Amino acid sequence: MARPFLKVEGLTKVYPGGVRALQDVSFEVARGEFVVVIGLSGSGKSTLLRCINRLVEPTAGRVWVDGVEVTALDREGVRRLRREIGMIFQQFNLVRRLPVLTNVLTGRLGYVPAWWSLVNYWPPDLVQRALDALERVGIRDKAYVRADQLSGGQQQRVGIARALMQEPKLILADEPVASLDPATSHSVLQYVEELNRREGITVLCSLHFLSLARRYGTRVIALKEGRLVFDGLPSEIDSHRFRQIYGEDAVEVEIA
Amino acid sequence: MTGRGLRLAAVLLAVAAFAYGWRVTRIDLGELVTKAHLVRPLVRDLLRPEILERVPRTQEVAVPVALGGAPPPLSPARGPRVEASSRSVRVGQEVELRGEGFAPGRPGRLVWRDATGAPSQLAQFTTDARGSFRLRVRIPDTLGDRGELVAVVVLPETAWRPSETLRLVAERMVETVFLALMGTAMGVVFAVPLSFLGARNLAHGTVGLAVYGTSRTVLNVFRSVEPLILATVFAVWVGIGPFAGVLALGVHSVASLGKLYSEAIEAIDPGPIEAVEATGASRLQVIRYAVIPQIVPQFIAFTIYRWDINVRMSTVIGFVGGGGIGFLLMQYINLLLWQKAATAVWAITLVVALMDYLSARVRERVV
Repeated sequence: MARPFLKVEGLTKVYPGGVRALQDVSFEVARGEFVVVIGLSGSGKSTLLRCINRLVEPTAGRVWVDGVEVTALDREGVRRLRREIGMIFQQFNLVRRLPVLTNVLTGRLGYVPAWWSLVNYWPPDLVQRALDALERVGIRDKAYVRADQLSGGQQQRVGIARALMQEPKLILADEPVASLDPATSHSVLQYVEELNRREGITVLCSLHFLSLARRYGTRVIALKEGRLVFDGLPSEIDSHRFRQIYGEDAVEVEIA
Repeated sequence: MTGRGLRLAAVLLAVAAFAYGWRVTRIDLGELVTKAHLVRPLVRDLLRPEILERVPRTQEVAVPVALGGAPPPLSPARGPRVEASSRSVRVGQEVELRGEGFAPGRPGRLVWRDATGAPSQLAQFTTDARGSFRLRVRIPDTLGDRGELVAVVVLPETAWRPSETLRLVAERMVETVFLALMGTAMGVVFAVPLSFLGARNLAHGTVGLAVYGTSRTVLNVFRSVEPLILATVFAVWVGIGPFAGVLALGVHSVASLGKLYSEAIEAIDPGPIEAVEATGASRLQVIRYAVIPQIVPQFIAFTIYRWDINVRMSTVIGFVGGGGIGFLLMQYINLLLWQKAATAVWAITLVVALMDYLSARVRERVV
């Protein structure tokens, strides 16, 4: 591998209460990969994703994104870095009382002049791009509806459109389908997959279900109690590995 | 000591406390009955507020006499009329007036109305069976040179009209509502920024936490000062009147709104904040797009609720010099004008109930 696109080295996070969420996690991701992070609830998946765009401050270890050492950036540096990293959340995290279009436009906040954005003025070309982004995820007609009027699947698609507005190099998806039903899960993940394949956006996505990881991931890493316990191809996870990751009593559940 | 012993001691202590309390507060339930006659007239008057008053109808005619060089008013073309022996009169001169076409056999008076409309009576007369009168009168030198002479004849029938008290009460009530509005506005202006500084979830780092602690302390200190005391202080500072009331209510509103607002901010969903932060937005942008949309309904509801409370509170504020209806009510009470006081009390009740109802309706809609 040439210079890795994303490099995580000895990443450790201890929360103020003493919970060790991540312990000495190291891995590398090449440009254009779709890496799925699996593991039980509380295994450190969310913390890992948030350490990469520094929504969570790591206790120790270093992270590089596209040659930039994330962990060495100052406040302004972090802000600039975040502009290029899209993030998708389990609870969608839309601003519920704002229209869908405004929610999508917030993806561009890091670039627009501060005063324009504070009075909610958006240049027409940006509005057009937001509409195009909604078109891509198939909900162009919902642009002027309040975000909380949408179904879960539609809200997550707004979340994807918001990330799309950032023209990201990397998408961090934190359990993007954990709140959705199986059919909707697939449709949402397919949009993410399309961004990965067509635009070459690197994706780091945590998922609950191994079946989804196998279906969408080009590579899987597994966390258990904050430690990296697996790093390989989806097909390499056999029943032995599965029990290693999820514990002896676990039974694999398929999601159609 | 055993559990039973402790319980017995607690009961004895409670009994002793209540017995002492009964004695020092001089509770005497019998007085409620034996002294009921003292309160009866008061209650009766409170049930009879001065709303309308009966005033006799009158016929009023300007006397066509010029005083101090001003041209004499014209006699009316129809109805009762007055004629004077001379059309221009100086102070100290006598003039003879003849009136006709008035109601027959009624008492009348000749009145001088100065520029402010304040009347002073110059003479009295009675109309004859045909509704006419004759009158000789000397123009006294105490009159100013601006005003008019008017003949007023009192008719047998009377008319109802809103009482002077009602007019005054209404005026003060409007003042009170606006006093509360301005106090609330002042509270909002200062409480909004303070509430953002005093919200735990927006405080980051040592500086943020220090600012958070400071604004919370400021809010708590202000809130613990009674509005009555604030009003007393401001009445001394800027003088008795509605402005003192505005300041007192304003300061109190800053504290209470600040606390309510910051609690509303603390209760918001942190998800959108995280999402907007993750796009590379600045601190202000995060507040603009992730915080404000979530708190607007609560802010509106709290503000209207505060206004409602302030209207109620401004009554009491008025008692200590804060202006508005309270000040008027206090004067009526001190002068034992119970019927007038009743008018004010009923007006307050009505307006407060109305505000209460409206604010509840508005809050229902926005939340």
